Amino acid sequence: MIDWYFSHIVLIQSTLTTLLLALSVQVPLRAGVFSFAGVGCYGIGGYIAAIGMVHYGLSTATAILLAAVAGGVVAYTLGLLIQRLTGLYLAMATVAFTLIISVLVVNGGDLTGGAAGLFGALGMLDTGHLLAVAAVVVAGLTFTEIGPLGRRVEAVREDPELAAAMGIDVARYRRATFAVSGVLGGLSGSMTVLLRSTVTPDDINFHLVVLALTIIIVGGSRSWIGALVGTVIFVWMPEVLAFVGEWEDVVYGVLVAAAAVYLPGGVTGAAVDGYRKYRRKRREAADTPPDGPSPHPAAAGVGGDS
Amino acid sequence: MASAAIEDAAGTAPAKSVLRADDVAVHFGGVKAVDGVSIALTPGRIFGVLGPNGSGKSTLLAALTRLVPLTRGSLEFDGRRYDTVRPHTIAARGVARTFQTVRILPGRTVFDNVALGAESAGAARKAERSRARQRVRVAIERTGLAGKERHRPDELSYGYQRRVEIARAIASEPTLLLLDEPTAGMNRQERDDITGLLGDLRGEGLTQLLIEHDVQMMVEACDHLFAMNFGELIADGEPEAVVRHPAVQEAYLGKQGRAHA
Repeated sequence: MIDWYFSHIVLIQSTLTTLLLALSVQVPLRAGVFSFAGVGCYGIGGYIAAIGMVHYGLSTATAILLAAVAGGVVAYTLGLLIQRLTGLYLAMATVAFTLIISVLVVNGGDLTGGAAGLFGALGMLDTGHLLAVAAVVVAGLTFTEIGPLGRRVEAVREDPELAAAMGIDVARYRRATFAVSGVLGGLSGSMTVLLRSTVTPDDINFHLVVLALTIIIVGGSRSWIGALVGTVIFVWMPEVLAFVGEWEDVVYGVLVAAAAVYLPGGVTGAAVDGYRKYRRKRREAADTPPDGPSPHPAAAGVGGDS
Repeated sequence: MASAAIEDAAGTAPAKSVLRADDVAVHFGGVKAVDGVSIALTPGRIFGVLGPNGSGKSTLLAALTRLVPLTRGSLEFDGRRYDTVRPHTIAARGVARTFQTVRILPGRTVFDNVALGAESAGAARKAERSRARQRVRVAIERTGLAGKERHRPDELSYGYQRRVEIARAIASEPTLLLLDEPTAGMNRQERDDITGLLGDLRGEGLTQLLIEHDVQMMVEACDHLFAMNFGELIADGEPEAVVRHPAVQEAYLGKQGRAHA
């Protein structure tokens, strides 16, 4: 087991940091906000952590904290600026934000290291630290999925007009998702960079947007569990598909397309739907008398369930 | 077209209004969806807005709940102007509503959907939770949804989905309940059940404003009717008098139809 852990430590750590990146896109989506600002904040977080350690000698914890706060503040401000946009227009604006970040770091001179990036930002991080951060994040997000807050977030996503009629400040919820997304992106970016010790502008490209989106499409967009399932699939897929060699990208594409077509709620959504159908059948079986349904029409009740 | 106010036998001394709308207009470009409507809702009574399709009833309701901006006019709730506030603040003032088409969360159970209403007045705090849960249970019981708490909307008939909307609205224990076609899609028995429930709520002092096509139901359920056509108020007063009003008959039946009526 210990041998297996050490031979797969990069994949295990990558799973935890990629989970945070996927959550940074999933959190706004769960509130009906199609935003990739979290990916841009991944870049901001990565560079802030690297700059903090390389140029200012910050500790690992301080660098990560600063990166998370900066990600949250930048994303919240972006949310204020583009709060009137919705759907694809909002998505495009946030993708543009991510690309702007990569252009800025290329032109950042000595501060960002230009096109070559920054080296030597090795943080004192191990799998335990990553697990602890991921656990705290997941615990926090669980509260946004259950109970009154979960219902409210779902109302904001499904029907903003209904949500407003229920007393929910939809705009405030949308802005909050931007801030949370930025914090998660900042955390993911900073921890990724401090594990690798380097950051370059190439690390913040459109590929990250595609990766985060496919993780959520395949895993599921309604719960952190979906993000985790999708992350495990896509981080570990190259390892599992090593035997197909150069066909790996084809298999990857087919899997994503199949999931989008046949599993609209992702792997997690399909599992939840299956469980609900099972429970419904059990309930219906329990409601049906042992002799079968009554032949008398009146017994069926007027206006009952169809 | 000027509003023709009909003498209201019940309303002699003017009581303080729960809601007052003065000269409300909602225009969409050149379309005058609502134009110069003034209404006042006094406490503990059921008011109805009657009118053919496209007469502006639902737009008036949207204006009263601030979902559409006013082109002109003013709104007062409990003596305080609210025509510039954001829509989500209306619920906290004690206004609950249902929608013309069923709007409930598809992935949530009946209990969760009703709880959304019970928690609308900031009941998300821990101390309020048990009271909110109690309100949910009462609302579910009163709307005939007992036993269906764990059902999801796709497991319910249209009539029951409507009940979920009504339960969600009354679970917030509002001061004013706005109902947009609450009995649409229901059979006679279900309609009578809902009419009976609204009557009970009136007995408890809840002011209600109903929007419906069903003239008979409106006459049976309401204490006071407003009739609209082409965005304007064409009559208001006692239900029987309003439905007999020539302008209302003309709006529903046309001039020739009125001659034969």
